[in-house]
Amino acid sequence: MIITGLIVGLVLGFVVQRGRFCVTGAFRDLTLTGNTRWFSALIVLIAVHSIGLFLLNSFGVITLEAAPFPWLASIVGGLIFGWAMVYAGGCATGTYYRAGEGLVGSWFALIFYALFSAVMKLGPLAGFTEGIRGITLDNGSLQASTGISPWVFVAIIAAIAIWLTVHHARKLKTPMATLPPRKTGLAHLLTEKRWNPFATAVVIGIIATIAWPLSAATGRNSGLGITTPSANLVGYLTTGDTQLVDWGVMLVIGILVGSFIAAKASGEFRVRVPDKGTIIKSIIGGIGMGVGAAIAGGCTVGNAMVSTAQFEYQGWVSMVFMIVGAGIAAKVSIKPKKSQAAAPAAESRTV
Amino acid sequence: MKQVLETDGQVCPFPLVEAKDAMTGLEAGDELVINFDCTQATEAIPQWAAENGYPVTHFDRVTDASWTITVQKA
Repeated sequence: MIITGLIVGLVLGFVVQRGRFCVTGAFRDLTLTGNTRWFSALIVLIAVHSIGLFLLNSFGVITLEAAPFPWLASIVGGLIFGWAMVYAGGCATGTYYRAGEGLVGSWFALIFYALFSAVMKLGPLAGFTEGIRGITLDNGSLQASTGISPWVFVAIIAAIAIWLTVHHARKLKTPMATLPPRKTGLAHLLTEKRWNPFATAVVIGIIATIAWPLSAATGRNSGLGITTPSANLVGYLTTGDTQLVDWGVMLVIGILVGSFIAAKASGEFRVRVPDKGTIIKSIIGGIGMGVGAAIAGGCTVGNAMVSTAQFEYQGWVSMVFMIVGAGIAAKVSIKPKKSQAAAPAAESRTV
Repeated sequence: MKQVLETDGQVCPFPLVEAKDAMTGLEAGDELVINFDCTQATEAIPQWAAENGYPVTHFDRVTDASWTITVQKA
């Protein structure tokens, strides 16, 4: 029943579009402005997902598998992916939903991301990817290397998540301005009202948890994932091999369609063609995301949400290096136009 | 004084980066009208205004996926 992947994808695409959920923004802001609001929402998401996954595991609904820690691939892939997603203007999921909003720059980023994830996973560079991911350390998770019950770590991250939520709820000096409502009831809630990032995070954490047993039921024992499915989609489209069309492929198609539905229903869909520079940056970013995610074994979803929720080193280490990569790219490429003009020519060429 | 900042066609975080830059040149009480078409800025710009205690005197849609917001420097 891979059709459940499509349904989960539709819902997820709708939620990330309406919630403006942007992990690129979360990582970038840490360096660019020091703002921790979106990053805190991500921690809340990880905590919810973690509780859900270990509950399902305890009840025997799913079986979480222990994996070694591909340390070099996590570092290198994380750095490349983090840098690239700032150039692309969104992480893998962010690019899917912005493509659904009609941003032509994201169409370019998405095509090159999917293409290069296929090159790295199915194509000529698959051997390289396998090689670098074969450099591992035993005991790939906190619970495996410490012997402590994962529930201790679940309790710790849940406590941090609650503290962060309270901290950010208290921080605002004045209430946030919202758009004047034109709709009422459910239409207002779903297709107009501003969604609080922390509420969106909880909803995504629940969707991610439900995704795992649905995916496992089709023989794919893992949760949300974007990169391998994107590679498989390209593989299917270019070879016609229907074996590649699994739950994950249906998921990513669902995300694209779901975000389009959300944007269209909210009056937020419009085909927007960017300038030449943005298109080139989107293509470079897309290529880097495909390469980085394949090496790291996941994007901001597979690694920074799902692997982290299982307390795997791969997830946490690649997330830290995604933040470093995003920080470098933000420092180099994000400046107001005026300051760009004032910068020396050699420097402005990198923008 | 009212200054207008056109950011249509720019993706996040650039509308906010430009808005912050334009804001530094304004006096207290001046208003900055920011026109934008990046969806995520409907969250990021009001959030920035609220965190800095800047009043938002106008915020509305223009057409599909196009917005205008007026932020007063305080």
